[in-house]
Amino acid sequence: MFTKFNVKLTTLFLDPNSAHHYSMADGERVNIILSPSLYWVKKISLPVKYARDAKKLLASLFEDTLPEGNYSYSVYKKEEEFFIFAYEDKVILDAMSKAGVSLSNVASVHFAQSEMQGIEGAVKINEAQSIYVKDDIVVLVPCCWIEESGDLDMSEITLSKHKVVLQQYAHIVENSSLYKIGAVLVVLSLLVFGEYLITLQKTSEVTQLKDELFAKHKLKPTMLQNKSMLKKYKTIHEKQTKLREYTSYLLSLRLQGNEKLAKLSLKDKTLDAEFSGASEVTLSRIQNIMKSKKVKFTTELRNKTLHLEMLL
Amino acid sequence: MNRINPLYLGLFLIVLLLFVSFKLSSAKSELSDAKEAYKESSKLSNELSSLKKVYSKKVNLESLRSASVVQKRTKTGVILSSAVMSSKELNALMSRVLNGAYNITGLKIKKQSATKVSLHLEIKW
Repeated sequence: MFTKFNVKLTTLFLDPNSAHHYSMADGERVNIILSPSLYWVKKISLPVKYARDAKKLLASLFEDTLPEGNYSYSVYKKEEEFFIFAYEDKVILDAMSKAGVSLSNVASVHFAQSEMQGIEGAVKINEAQSIYVKDDIVVLVPCCWIEESGDLDMSEITLSKHKVVLQQYAHIVENSSLYKIGAVLVVLSLLVFGEYLITLQKTSEVTQLKDELFAKHKLKPTMLQNKSMLKKYKTIHEKQTKLREYTSYLLSLRLQGNEKLAKLSLKDKTLDAEFSGASEVTLSRIQNIMKSKKVKFTTELRNKTLHLEMLL
Repeated sequence: MNRINPLYLGLFLIVLLLFVSFKLSSAKSELSDAKEAYKESSKLSNELSSLKKVYSKKVNLESLRSASVVQKRTKTGVILSSAVMSSKELNALMSRVLNGAYNITGLKIKKQSATKVSLHLEIKW
């Protein structure tokens, strides 16, 4: 389905002591071979079968032999022996930066140890240093030690599959710490997201309960309509309660002599009572009683007839 | 070699956490509103249904039957009237009306003589 183009990339030899400065175009990709100055290597036999098993032991294998620094480790197996490496990502990145190579231009990074096993004799890598292979290890020596040094020809090198990935921020925070912080953030996000889903579910349940409540009590669709209806019924209830209360006040009045309750009527919010045979004494007595009951009322005494109007 | 900058990844996770927290906070607020609305609806529906039950139910005319009283049923209620009835009869009827949950919208009681009265009573539902 896809066509993969096999583009041959330029290979550069990165040496921190070389004054060579590369000018890279945007998007240009190169392979890098690291000078022995940029890493530490050991060739050892280990009681493990695979390189992945040896990886766990690398830090302890270099313990006490390296200067202080933040090291990354790499290993590959060749025949029965392991080549183990320690390198500082920041030192390599600084060297790349000094040589004018940006990390975005780098396709892969290899050790001279894995790529330059085939060199014959000594090869000069900068003004003062050469490399040559001794006991399967690519070593760095001063030029003055070797009388005949050849020049470095990168075109003859075919890169192996042994490469490393540089950690740009390894010197700031260790990978394990980054993973831990990341894991904590991911777990927290998941927990909060879980809580969010539960809350949504609860909201949906409450809304459903509310709908069921509306259906059960045959309420109107909006709260405004229901509130208005409740207000109407409350007004009726209040009026009916007062009507019964005020009627009981009237019926419990102790009428004297010719005093009689001649008429009782209800119209809108007014309850009217008419007493015949009333006098000023009757008026005063009824007024006092109504005041003590906190009833809103008006009275009128005319021709021995007392009109009492009570507001419900 | 173009690896994702771990700081960007960390920043993304923090932004993600903040975003999810914000969504959670909004959802919690919505839940709180929904609970409050349910509580209010529950209170309102209980009040409304009990008041409706009392004042919207149709009056049982049998319970308000009285010898001298004429019952006239309308679309929205009933009118009880009597040109002349005894005070005793009135007391018995009014006692039933006032002790029952009826929506009395109109009332007129007038004394005719020492023992006789006239009545006009309107009840709505």
